[in-house]
Formats: sequence, structure tokens, C-alpha cells
Amino acid sequence: MAFILRKRNAKRQEEKAAGGGFYRSGFFPWLLMMPTLAVLGLIGLFPFGYAIYLAGRKLILSKMYLPNPFVGLANFQFLMQDPTFIHALFITLVITLEAVFIEFWLGLGLATLAQRNIRGKGFFRVCLLVPMAITPVVTGLMWRFMLYPGAGLIPYYGKQLANLFGRETFPELLSVNYALQTIVAVDVWQWTPFMFLIFLAGLASIPPEPYEAARIDGASPWFIFRSVTLPLLRPMILIAILIRTMDAFRIFDKVFVLTSGGPGDATETLAYYLYRSGFKFFHASRGAAIALIALVIIVGFSFLFVKLLRKEAVIR
Amino acid sequence: MTDNKVEEFVGRRGRGWNIVAYVVLSLASAIAIFPLIWLGMTAFKDRITAFALPPVWIFTPTFESFKVLIGFRHMELFMLNSAIVALGSTGFSIGVGVFCAYALARFRFRGRESIAFWILSNRMIPPLALALPLFILFQKFHWLDTRRGLIFLYTAMQLPFVVWILRGYFEDIPYELEEAAMVDGDSWFSAFRKVTLPLAGPAIAATAIFVLILSWNEFPFALILTGATSRTMPPAAVTFMVESNIHWNEIGAACLFIALPMVVFVMIVQKQFVRGLTMGMVRE
Repeated sequence: MAFILRKRNAKRQEEKAAGGGFYRSGFFPWLLMMPTLAVLGLIGLFPFGYAIYLAGRKLILSKMYLPNPFVGLANFQFLMQDPTFIHALFITLVITLEAVFIEFWLGLGLATLAQRNIRGKGFFRVCLLVPMAITPVVTGLMWRFMLYPGAGLIPYYGKQLANLFGRETFPELLSVNYALQTIVAVDVWQWTPFMFLIFLAGLASIPPEPYEAARIDGASPWFIFRSVTLPLLRPMILIAILIRTMDAFRIFDKVFVLTSGGPGDATETLAYYLYRSGFKFFHASRGAAIALIALVIIVGFSFLFVKLLRKEAVIR
Repeated sequence: MTDNKVEEFVGRRGRGWNIVAYVVLSLASAIAIFPLIWLGMTAFKDRITAFALPPVWIFTPTFESFKVLIGFRHMELFMLNSAIVALGSTGFSIGVGVFCAYALARFRFRGRESIAFWILSNRMIPPLALALPLFILFQKFHWLDTRRGLIFLYTAMQLPFVVWILRGYFEDIPYELEEAAMVDGDSWFSAFRKVTLPLAGPAIAATAIFVLILSWNEFPFALILTGATSRTMPPAAVTFMVESNIHWNEIGAACLFIALPMVVFVMIVQKQFVRGLTMGMVRE
């Protein structure tokens, strides 16, 4: 079961497209791609340009009749001095880093265990697929129900457990002090399986030879893991982290359903702040400016990561 | 081969570690599926048992919540909206994306990799970044609160995914077969239809299921761009939470309607799941 990275070396690309003269036609492929490019231009490129235009003006959605003067970088300047924005940025980074970190190690650990030649492997795999299959909004609602103070089963059994250990109370998981960690936990519940599946595929594709060699040299299991498994898994690790980070950074659905950014602004992420500025306060220009800042951060990150990925050797 | 390796890795400590693996994996599986089971149970409770403490584990199932949802909250309309939007956008994005993916996989032309990367970069943009411009655009086109607006938007959102993943699959199909058909006098299109398309069939089906799941689950845009007439299930379920004074059994039933079909679909595409999730970057 060999796996290959999509970004393979240039030589293979040459081979692939090197068919007869037909496949070298200069015009025909553009004809085939035209509809896609047109749709993406209209929904991807055009709104993007419009967002840049908006960010430099002062447009209020509920007062479209007012003139929308050009204000230069005033929107960005406002955000830089806006404690709510800085806070939202901070919250987003905390959620992203924490969630991806935990998901990574948990997923890797579970995959290492699941690659053993044990019975019922398929069953465990299917069970672990379930969280990913569930609509993010439903995930949020489901956990909100289970965590609901006075009705949910987690506070109820949590309290019993706390009493068992001689404590009076169980922390309210959706309160100011814990809400952020709860969101991270729900995200971990949903997306650890993603890491798990990718690493399971990655582990299965590692050939047995390096392990044999390491064993003959008398290496310890921990040493084998660190110096054989991890390096060979590196491309997978990079892809998994890239995709998860991109997704975690724009977390919205779960926040919206679980806490609505609250209590107060304890769990207000960038995406939620953007939603609030744009669609609650109708400040379109400020929303666009937030969007552009978020975009620069995430594209910058992805770019660095893709560069790292390109350097990786192609594994077959 | 795999057996060998595992044995090798496990070494002499095999047995003990296998028990650890069983315990940990069973626990993880239980945590993974329990919320869905609890949700299913809640959907079949009446209003009082759903809220009861201590939590009720054994009860007589009722269809009360489903009756309220369909009779009173017009959930069948939202279901229909969701189904039309998801199927429509799946159809369009596959129909359009197949040709683009094929062109990027087969042909050699200048700027190919740049185009491919540009298409992918559309996917990196956080959706909410485009929300405001799209809202204004939709307003101008009178597309707000229409299904066709949402179908068009989802088509565009899923296209990068479709193109990237299908491109990988097309690259796996040897071009020689198609070429041979053309030498035999078929036009490009009939060669494509008769040879390549059937070979790519299963891959296209799996991709279509992925797109269907993504469109069915989409929330932020559905929240912003739809109103009473074209609302899809995810934002509708959230409004139940606000409107209905929180009747958890009804929300549970609505959630079950949203989540169950997708769980089934995910089980169908299990084998292609890793490849799909990574947009074809990892092949199993």
C-alpha cells in the first residue's frame, strides 16, 4: 500500500502529460477549464477584490443610502487599537494551537495502537469515523445538550463523580473560566479521528525493512519510534497539520452553537467577531478588514507549510 | 507484509501491548459514538423525559418530537431545501469540475501548475472572509434567500475540492487507452465518454458523496444568506434552539435528521475517506 504525495517530482509530471500530440494542444484544455474558471472568478476572485475595496471605505449595511467615503487604512487602524479584536485574535490562536496539538498526539497515539494486528480493527475504525461524519452544527448542539446546566448528563454525573472524591461541586463547563477549554475539547472530539485515519494510512505504508534493521541493531521501541516512524511519517504529519490548522483557524459553527462567543467575550473567535461586526452591527467595512487580516495570517501560514511540503522527498 | 512488520514492531512484548490497545481503542470508540447514541435516544423521548434528571436511560419511545417538527415547525420544507441545494450543487460542481480536472491531469500547457494552485488557493480563503462581499453581491442579484443562489455558491465552494481530488484520480488512469480509442476514429468526447469516464466512475461517485456531505453540512453561509423560504437544515436546527424554549427532544430529532444520512454516506466512502479529506494529497 504505497502512498504518494500529490506534489510529486517534476519528472513524473513530465511522464504523465507526455502522451501524443493531442495532449499538447494549447487551446483545448482552456476550453475544458473555462466553466470552472468562470465560476471561481465570479465567486472567488470578484468578492475578494470587493472585500479589498470595502476595507478601504466606510460602508454600513443598514445605511446603504449614506455615502461610503474612502478612508484609507482607518479600518485597519481601528482594529489594531480595538481590544476586542486583539482578544478575538488571541482566542483564535489559543483554540487553533491547543486543538491541533492535542489532536495530533492523540491521533498519533491511537493510530500506533490501532496498527497492531488485533482483531476488531475494522470495528474500531468505523467507530472512530463517526465524529467526523457528524455535521459541525449538530456536534455543537449535541454537546450543548449534554453540557446544559440543570439538564445535561455531564454536569449531573460529573457532580456525582466529584462527590465521590469528596468535593462539593463540579465546574460548570460552559462558564467563563471553562468555556474555551470546552470548545477545544469538542473540537478534539470531532477531529482527532481525522489525524488518526491519516496516520493509520501513513503507518501502513511504511515498509518493514527499516524496522528490521533497527531491531537487529538492538534499538529500543522509543528510539525506533523517534528515528524511524516519525521521519517516515513526516509528509503525512505536515499535510494533516496544515489542513487541521486551516480549519481550526476559521472555527465558527461550534462557537456559534455552543457559546455564541460568550460568556461575555470569553470564546469570541475571529470568525465570530467578523460575523458580529458585519451582520449584527452591519459594519461591512470593518468586517472586510477583519477578513483580510485573517486571510493574510492563514495564507502566510499555508504558504510556509506548502513550501516545507515541497521540500519533502516523494515516498512511494 | 503488514503482519510481519507488526510482529516485528511488537516484538516480545506483544501480548501486553495488545491488551493496552484493546482497552484504549474501546474507550476511544465509546467516547466517539456515545453522543450520537444519546442524541438518538433523546429524539424519541417526550419533552419531560428529555429534560429529566437523573438522566433517563430506559423509556417508552414516542414520536412526539417528530410530529411537532413536521406538523408545526415545517421541517419538511427545510429538509427539501437542504436536499435540493446539496444535490444541485453536487451535480453542478461535478459536472463542471470533471472537465477541469481532466484538462489539468492530461494536457500539457503553460501555466498548468499555476492554474491548479490558484484553484486550490480558493479553498484556503476562510469562507467568512467572503461573506460580506457575497452578501452585497447576492443583494444586487436578488439572490438572497433563494435556493439557486445557495446552489451557485456551494458549487463554487466545492469546485476546488472536486478539481483537486479528481485530477489525482484521472492521473491514475493511463492515457493510452483513450488514445487508442481516438486512433480508432472516435472523437475526443466519445473516447472520453466510453473509456475514461467509466474507469473514473467509482472515484467520481465517491467525490460526489463528499461534496454532498460538505454542502449538506454547510452552516455560516446558509445562516447569512437564507431566510424563511430557502433555509437549510443546519441553520433551521439552530433557530429551533432559540425559538422553542429549548425542547431538547425536538432539537435531538432535527439533529438526527441532519446527521444520520451523512453518517451513512461516510460509511459508504470509508475507503476513499483519507484521500478525500486531504484533497487527494494522501493516497491510500
